[in-house]
Amino acid sequence: MSDRIVVIGGGPAGLEAAAMAGRLGAPVLIVEKRSHLGGAPIAESYAALTHGLQSAEELMGKMMAAATDLDRVEVRTESEVVAMSGTGGNFTVTISSNGSEETVDAGAIVLATGFQHFDPGRETQQYGYYEFPDVITIQDAEGMLKEETFVTPSTGKPPERVAFIQCVGSRDRQIGNEYCSKVCCGISSKQAIEVRQQVPDARVFIFYIDMRMYGYWENEIYWPAQEQHRVNYVKGIVTEVLAKNGRLIIRGEDTTMGRPMEVPMDVVVLAVGMEPSPGTRHMADILGIATNKYGFVETVHDVLDTVTTAVAGVYVCGSATGPADLDDTISSAGSAGAKAVAYLRSGAEVPA
Amino acid sequence: MAAAAPVTTFATAGGATLSPDHYVDVAYEEKLRLWDEVKADPRFPDYLYGCYECGICVAACPSAKFYNFSPRKIAQAAAREDVELIFEQMNDDVWNCSQCFSCNRCPRQNSPGGLITILREVAVNNGLASSKAALEGYTRIVYKIMTTGTQVSPDMLQADAFPDWGPGVMEVSDNLELWRKALPPETLHTTSMSWQVDDKTLTELYLIWHYTGVMDLIAEVDEGLHMIILDVMEETLEEAGFEI
Repeated sequence: MSDRIVVIGGGPAGLEAAAMAGRLGAPVLIVEKRSHLGGAPIAESYAALTHGLQSAEELMGKMMAAATDLDRVEVRTESEVVAMSGTGGNFTVTISSNGSEETVDAGAIVLATGFQHFDPGRETQQYGYYEFPDVITIQDAEGMLKEETFVTPSTGKPPERVAFIQCVGSRDRQIGNEYCSKVCCGISSKQAIEVRQQVPDARVFIFYIDMRMYGYWENEIYWPAQEQHRVNYVKGIVTEVLAKNGRLIIRGEDTTMGRPMEVPMDVVVLAVGMEPSPGTRHMADILGIATNKYGFVETVHDVLDTVTTAVAGVYVCGSATGPADLDDTISSAGSAGAKAVAYLRSGAEVPA
Repeated sequence: MAAAAPVTTFATAGGATLSPDHYVDVAYEEKLRLWDEVKADPRFPDYLYGCYECGICVAACPSAKFYNFSPRKIAQAAAREDVELIFEQMNDDVWNCSQCFSCNRCPRQNSPGGLITILREVAVNNGLASSKAALEGYTRIVYKIMTTGTQVSPDMLQADAFPDWGPGVMEVSDNLELWRKALPPETLHTTSMSWQVDDKTLTELYLIWHYTGVMDLIAEVDEGLHMIILDVMEETLEEAGFEI
């Protein structure tokens, strides 16, 4: 019986799970493939976090400190779990770091390998992402917003007109992702506010199917975006992006006005959705845990237990289980860390 | 076959790829000037916050049941600052509103009806031909109210002025005195007046209209009417000891 908890993934979910388990007294080993902790918010240079609008770097820094300040929490970066054997309470985990392998024992495992952004060139060359330099994704926009250099990439000049296109790679049977990615409405609205703040003369449009601004996102992001920052929301999804006289043209239907539209734009931002990261898919295989048709990890109950997998001693949290915002991620990660410790202490699953 | 719907441009000067069908002969700069005048109205910020296009205003709107009219589109066009569409609405749509303000039940606390009030005032103050045409049928009402201080009188029931009152109005207006005699005697069977307004009240009304700029509005819409009303007013005011 090992009392160690191996946390796979050092993003927000892994850090919170590690901090929780560590504070409850368990030795924790975080295994992170990247060279740094902090996950996508750091790797993708997120500017402000959606909801709260605080600096991603600062908040991730706090999370890293909360985990790594604990003596019981160890970190292996540039490391991957390549094999797992044994059963709950007595796992043997093989970790590969820079070509050398080591095995560690673990009583429980928390999977926190997260998501990746949908690739807009995956099925078809949707919206010319790989054709036009001025068609970018929300993560591309984050990098520019973080540096406060939001420009039209092809000219290096501040844009006059910016369009966000929602639901790229989400809610689409043809692509195979029927689910809603949950965060893109909020992120686009947040970015639209940031663009208006950084480039006050720019007109910003958001083309959407439904705006899904649940809870406080409505009054904290959506309404201020419209009312204070004069972001234009147009119900209707763009069908194609064209280039004409050196400028992008977006074509679609302005559904609530009941007419087709052709609108010139300088920058088009694709609100790409979430898919399971390659790490999530790969680890699910290694750990022998079930995934749904989209490749996200399944838990034992949709509602009552969002972190326990069908393999005793293996827990999952954050966006490895499906699209999740950071609030969701922190909540599920804390739960996963606590349930992993409870499992080790009692030798039994916490009943759902 | 119906003409194709105009293509939305969310226009900026020189930025549109396709021109809207209407008012192409009016320069963009002129449309923008009028829109800036609307936005500069001190009431504007209280009438428009943001619109999520729920349609509750249209559901509540009596005019929307009878005309191709949508208070939602008024709020949307203003929120989007779609200068071309706003100009079109300022000419064509705003006159379909009955200013009942049922649309004020908006969950975002917008007032599409209030926006329309401002749009109408800007249209009239700038002498848009469409505003003159829209108000033409109201000449008699304006004359009646502004000279006598009373409401619509029976002799204003005339088919040429109010085609939307239906085919029955012709028969009524042709034999108006006879129809009036069928009513209770309390109406005095009058056809040209609803009731007598006393001189003090009339004097006050004249002064209000003069000092709040209503007379200037009338002059903009109908110069002849303005002269006639002014004649009547000046006489009454003079007798009351006012010089304007």
